[in-house]
Amino acid sequence: MKLKLSKTITCDLLILGAGGAGLRCAAEVLEKKPGTKVVAVTKVAHPQKSHTSTAQGGLAAVDPKDPVDKPIYHMFDTWKGSDCMADQNVVRRIVEAGWEEILWLENRGMHFSRDMDGRLAKRTFGGHTVNFGEASAYRAVFEADRTGKGIMDTLWGEVLRGGISFLHQSMATEILFCGERCAGAVIFCQKTGEFVAVRAKATVLAMGGCGQVFRVTTNCRQNTGDHLALAVQAGLPVMDPEAVQFHPTGIVGPGILASETLRSVGGILRNRDLEAFMEKYAPKMKELAPRDLVARAIETEIREGRGVFNSDHGIEHVWIDLRHLPEHVHRTQIPEVASFFKKFVNVDSRKELCPIRPSNHYHMGGVPTSPEGEVLRDAQAIVPGLFAVGECACASFHGFNRLGTNSLLELITMGRFAGQKAMEYLQGELPDLPKDAGEKSFQVFAAYLQSQGPARLGEVREKLRGLMTEKVGVFREEKGLKEAVSQIVELKSQAMETPILTKELPMNQELVERWELDNLLSSAMLIAQGALHRKDSRGGHFREDYPQRNPEFDTHSLLYMDGFGEIRIEKKPVDMSLGKEGGPYSEKFGMIERKY
Amino acid sequence: MSDSYQITLKILRYDPSAKKRWVQQYSLQAGGIQRFTDLFRKINAEQDPTLAWNSSCEHGQCGSCTVKVNGRPLLACELLVANAVEAFGTSQFYIEPITVGPVARDLVVDLEPAYERVENLKPYIIKRKENIYGTGEYRIAPQEMEAYLEATRCINCFCCATACMSGPPNFLGPNAVMASMVRVLDPREEAVQERLRVLHGPRGVCRCHTSRACSHVCPKEIDVANFVALAKAAKPRGQEP
Repeated sequence: MKLKLSKTITCDLLILGAGGAGLRCAAEVLEKKPGTKVVAVTKVAHPQKSHTSTAQGGLAAVDPKDPVDKPIYHMFDTWKGSDCMADQNVVRRIVEAGWEEILWLENRGMHFSRDMDGRLAKRTFGGHTVNFGEASAYRAVFEADRTGKGIMDTLWGEVLRGGISFLHQSMATEILFCGERCAGAVIFCQKTGEFVAVRAKATVLAMGGCGQVFRVTTNCRQNTGDHLALAVQAGLPVMDPEAVQFHPTGIVGPGILASETLRSVGGILRNRDLEAFMEKYAPKMKELAPRDLVARAIETEIREGRGVFNSDHGIEHVWIDLRHLPEHVHRTQIPEVASFFKKFVNVDSRKELCPIRPSNHYHMGGVPTSPEGEVLRDAQAIVPGLFAVGECACASFHGFNRLGTNSLLELITMGRFAGQKAMEYLQGELPDLPKDAGEKSFQVFAAYLQSQGPARLGEVREKLRGLMTEKVGVFREEKGLKEAVSQIVELKSQAMETPILTKELPMNQELVERWELDNLLSSAMLIAQGALHRKDSRGGHFREDYPQRNPEFDTHSLLYMDGFGEIRIEKKPVDMSLGKEGGPYSEKFGMIERKY
Repeated sequence: MSDSYQITLKILRYDPSAKKRWVQQYSLQAGGIQRFTDLFRKINAEQDPTLAWNSSCEHGQCGSCTVKVNGRPLLACELLVANAVEAFGTSQFYIEPITVGPVARDLVVDLEPAYERVENLKPYIIKRKENIYGTGEYRIAPQEMEAYLEATRCINCFCCATACMSGPPNFLGPNAVMASMVRVLDPREEAVQERLRVLHGPRGVCRCHTSRACSHVCPKEIDVANFVALAKAAKPRGQEP
């Protein structure tokens, strides 16, 4: 079968990935420049199905009317939470823009939960404090326990009103360039089985995360690290790929997220002996300590034999105790999450202990960008016309550990910033597409279709995911990481021996999964190599052989992958402008100790 | 309670290239708390990689994996094997795609025409009311929100539209009506009359036969029929009885 481009579409702005960040970017451009031709590509059946929709807890932003909370506290919490690896210029920009974004969403119809006066209700979340760690901050606005869905529905409505076009159930297989400048992308439309070239003045990567790289993950089926593979394919770097967050409370078994809200409303973690063990690990913040600390505490309990094993789940867990919470909390604040326990493990959270364990949740690392969301070619230069926002990007707002409720804040603020910056390109001419547009994709897909051999796609994928959870998970060390790297190389060659039985292109799920497997393998390689290189521990990256922070690694890593597994690493300094400017609290923004 | 079940799935398949439709039977051993999406994945991994099916979040939040199981529309990710055996009183399941759009392959349905019906009813604030509190947030009392909050939980899984006896193309569908009713009841929306005119138009609530099937099948347990009834009762100006 000869693969070819079915057509070429032109537009002003091309958005690859139609989740929260991508659509906020689109909405900004459609609102400020009505009539702009925006095409958004979504891998799922409809943008409303995007992974953003599953975010539960809330959206952090400091209300200027708040009598105690201040933006500088939020900046400090983010910096401290990041284990001193967030870029402070980015932190400042996002935090300062937060409340404006909340009002933008509310005014456009998001159904935020309210207090008795009808104002936006707020709640606390792990790691968010006032007065530099003194007390918990009420900083997160929320829509019950479906905040992400509220954002997604609002954004979908706004871009519809603005006249966006969608390519549903489609994915970008190749970024196109005109010289140095991004010129668009090649899209594979799953339902029709057609390749389409899209020529655009500006292109935005908003493709989500890579959670499917791990066996136990809260991430949706489509989060296969496509953006990381696309970036390295285009010769672009990936920043801090080893910075992976494991959410402490995944529902054991399927890994489904049980929101931090459970702990913020008073849920208590207990081990096999029903001991409330967080007191040992974080005497002050206890259950509300940041996610990486809580995840390691749970893993330690399990490793030291204080976990619980039930053969139905096949993997050990601890408990979260919600039994003491008042009925109205169960009913109004955690109804959705509590229903997960009932639905997926058949447990009544009002009367029984609920089984949870750490589950891969979020990728802090990703495609490096400027504070405006422009993709970086190296530590300094940008790629003109190419942007990245949301989880797929790394500006870096979260450093090595993301605070709960900060991801939704990042999505919408960075989406807007990138939209504003992208508008500068919309005045100009459409760049030309390269003559060989699509050739790379055709080569790869043709090889998939012709592949012969004994391996099975699902088997290779599950081996990879098991390997990553075991050796590149919550705890890491040199020997295991080296084994992981060589096994990923071996799995890559096995992947090349997986035949595809569905030969026709329309809705060829096998073909898509085969492409995804390659992306998972590239993502796994980047994460494992990044983890091997960083010989210290910070945030979500924990090396048992180097359990402390080491000043030598107070820097971002940019990983380039020239051939599969051939990694080149450059350094990029962490922006510390808040500390250097000598403002009233500048001493809080040095390489501070991270204790909770 | 480690339990194992011998399950038979009869799946209605469709090959778009040959335009061929057939029923294929799969037998498999499954644990009681495995989801039906886990079963599809198991079939792909162990028996037949060609079976195509849709899903995304796989915990009932996105509504991508809707299928009909023994005639009932539901989310495959929410159906646990043990519960299915108990609820349907059998270990044999006939699985077919939902009927709100054309089948792309096997259990994968093209949702674009289904979503177009929701988009017809404008799932956003058409015209904002003036905010009497100035530039900040609108003040909405929690009691006031109670009237429509349930309806905002809809994920457009199209279970209700599949079960509805006046399904497409004549009726825009229970979920679409509900999306519009959210804004009819939302104190921030000015364009209530415009909404009511469309709701009472030729593809609107006059098509509903009040079977209440929508409420019966909703995986979010939203009383969809209640919102359709509210739409019927709220006549636009000039059409009052």
